[in-house]
Amino acid sequence: MEALREGRPVALFPYGDRVLLWVERPEGQKGALGLTEAFLLGERRRFPSLAAEFPALDWFERALWERGFEPVGHPGLKPLRRHDLPYTFREFPLLHEVPVGPVHAGIIEPGHFRFSVLGERIVHLEIRLGYQHRGLLSLMPGKGAEAALLLVERAGSEPVAHAMAFAEAWERALGWEAPPRAQYLRRAALELERAFGHLGHLAGLFTDIGYAYGATQVGRIRALLQGELDRLTGHRYGRNFLRVGGVWREGQPDLEAIAAYREELARLLPRLLKNPQVLDRMRYVGVVRKAEALALGFVGPTARASGVGRDLRQDDPLYPDFTAVVRQGGDVLSRAQVYAEESLKALDYALFFLRHLPAGPLALDPPPGEGEALARVEAGRGEVVWFVRVEAGKEVMAEGVDPSFKNWRALELAVRGEGLPDFPLCNKSFDLSYAGSDL
Amino acid sequence: MSLMHTLKVGRLARKLEEILKVPQHAFGYPLLKPAGLTSRVREGLIHLCPVGAFTEREGIFSLDLARCVGCGRCALAYPEAVGEMRSLEVAVTRKEDLVQRVDLERGGFLDPGPPSSPRTELRLPTLAFREVSVGDTGLADSKVALLGNPFNDMGRFGFQVVASPRHADALLVTGPVSRNVAEALRRTYEAMPEPKGVVAVGNEAISGGVFAGSPQVLSGVDQVVPVDVYVPGDPPRPGAILHGLMLLVGRVTQRLVGGVLR
Repeated sequence: MEALREGRPVALFPYGDRVLLWVERPEGQKGALGLTEAFLLGERRRFPSLAAEFPALDWFERALWERGFEPVGHPGLKPLRRHDLPYTFREFPLLHEVPVGPVHAGIIEPGHFRFSVLGERIVHLEIRLGYQHRGLLSLMPGKGAEAALLLVERAGSEPVAHAMAFAEAWERALGWEAPPRAQYLRRAALELERAFGHLGHLAGLFTDIGYAYGATQVGRIRALLQGELDRLTGHRYGRNFLRVGGVWREGQPDLEAIAAYREELARLLPRLLKNPQVLDRMRYVGVVRKAEALALGFVGPTARASGVGRDLRQDDPLYPDFTAVVRQGGDVLSRAQVYAEESLKALDYALFFLRHLPAGPLALDPPPGEGEALARVEAGRGEVVWFVRVEAGKEVMAEGVDPSFKNWRALELAVRGEGLPDFPLCNKSFDLSYAGSDL
Repeated sequence: MSLMHTLKVGRLARKLEEILKVPQHAFGYPLLKPAGLTSRVREGLIHLCPVGAFTEREGIFSLDLARCVGCGRCALAYPEAVGEMRSLEVAVTRKEDLVQRVDLERGGFLDPGPPSSPRTELRLPTLAFREVSVGDTGLADSKVALLGNPFNDMGRFGFQVVASPRHADALLVTGPVSRNVAEALRRTYEAMPEPKGVVAVGNEAISGGVFAGSPQVLSGVDQVVPVDVYVPGDPPRPGAILHGLMLLVGRVTQRLVGGVLR
């Protein structure tokens, strides 16, 4: 697998009786990220496992195994989303075990965390998910565009990014593109969603270290920004906004207000992140190394905070002068810094798109036809992937990946060697979607 | 802003009346206009709605608010037949109060009769609740969390989130109840001391929403634990959830009867 050694895996999907592996070209020159290559592997529901050499594919292969495929030679198969199959946690005979969840103490989705601790130190964490599994992918085939988007918008907690990747995949499958005005409006909504999400992560981090001033200030601006996303899309989270062929509507967000929030954040965030209490609790805590991020295929702010400089937007021609926000530390503070800087940039780009809307229709009906395509969108948490096969106006096959699916193991690594009480802080620094992972 | 006003509501906190209103720029909950429901319009509505909230059976045309995702396309396409309700006082104690039924022959709404009020033992001056997500995308959860932000500040109404079901008077549940988490939900409910109430937050929690019918979900919280109050919305705004909590403790009366605000 020469391509995998040079590039990185994007997704592994079932494709009839075979599996389809998507690989991204090596990073480096501009334009490389947008390119993906596909490889068909195996036959009759059996394929050679690649997880031992490329651990980034481990969860993908486990998910396929649950769906009746056999990854031949996989180093340790156990269920991921299905709870009707037997599951055993890795055992550490001399360590104490602390089970947490599925129901947690905060207002948060369900998942089970099994800590193996020596005193207060976490030696090992195993995360078991699947509690949020709603069978979303199995509901998809045979749906028309509108019905499919209803499900896609509920795949993870970033509806705009998911809907955008799905709509783009559909349009690309028909060899077609949405009109320019729709492209700009989609990206404006995507950037507002990103800023809203990032500020949520920051407010959560401040809450978790007991920094009430920071949490309240960030929470206030975040709530006001949600109002602007609501004004633009007609929904507080941007649902019911995108359609295949364009967007449904064009609201009137208050651009001056967004610019004012941006200025306030630009003054506020650097100050908050230099507060001694913040530095004391976040610096050098929950470290993910660059080598780990590369080997396990982490994406989004998680990877960028560990020195991996990739962001799909750097290859999007509609983003002028885009450079990825990168930090080298890999700790909670680095992730917080990435969130802070990216939320400011997101607002800059949202304003840019809204101020430079090209003339033209909001949507056009794509031509009839059939085809299949993959599309990726850089959501707040990393890349969202959708692969769609369209025939006669209906999708006959759709597979999606939420960035959280690729990032959960970053949390397992980050907490190793940390004290158990630091777990909530580490967890919040990734703020992953359970539903997006469980689908 | 006068000092008295600031002392009363803080600098950011909104008045209750404001919280319970749909903001100006947003679409409210749809409301059928019986006079505009010609056969052409009815067919159009049934065809148009992406979630199938409109149905017609035996001379009765209905709109199920627990299915509506609030896209507002019906009101745009057929303004003569669909208006909107701009209040968030939409929490109910019976599921049938979320369905608008129009008798096409008479041309008026059917009235299912007065709703029962919630149990008197839950009439508490303050209420501690525990939130459980059972298959929700995290957005309805985030709405519950937003109840505590400086604008809504539910603490001033006596509502607070607690970390353990042992300390909770009520359970707020979001999501369509995925099969894998049903047992955890049941046990969380059993861990609560009596008297205890349950609020189903959002369309998915009421009847499964867009996931209804998936073999991996049970399509509704009331399939697992008894529900006292249903809050429709996709996801509901914080104001609607607040109204649900106030209805549970008997501080307000139910306004939505037969799907119509009364």
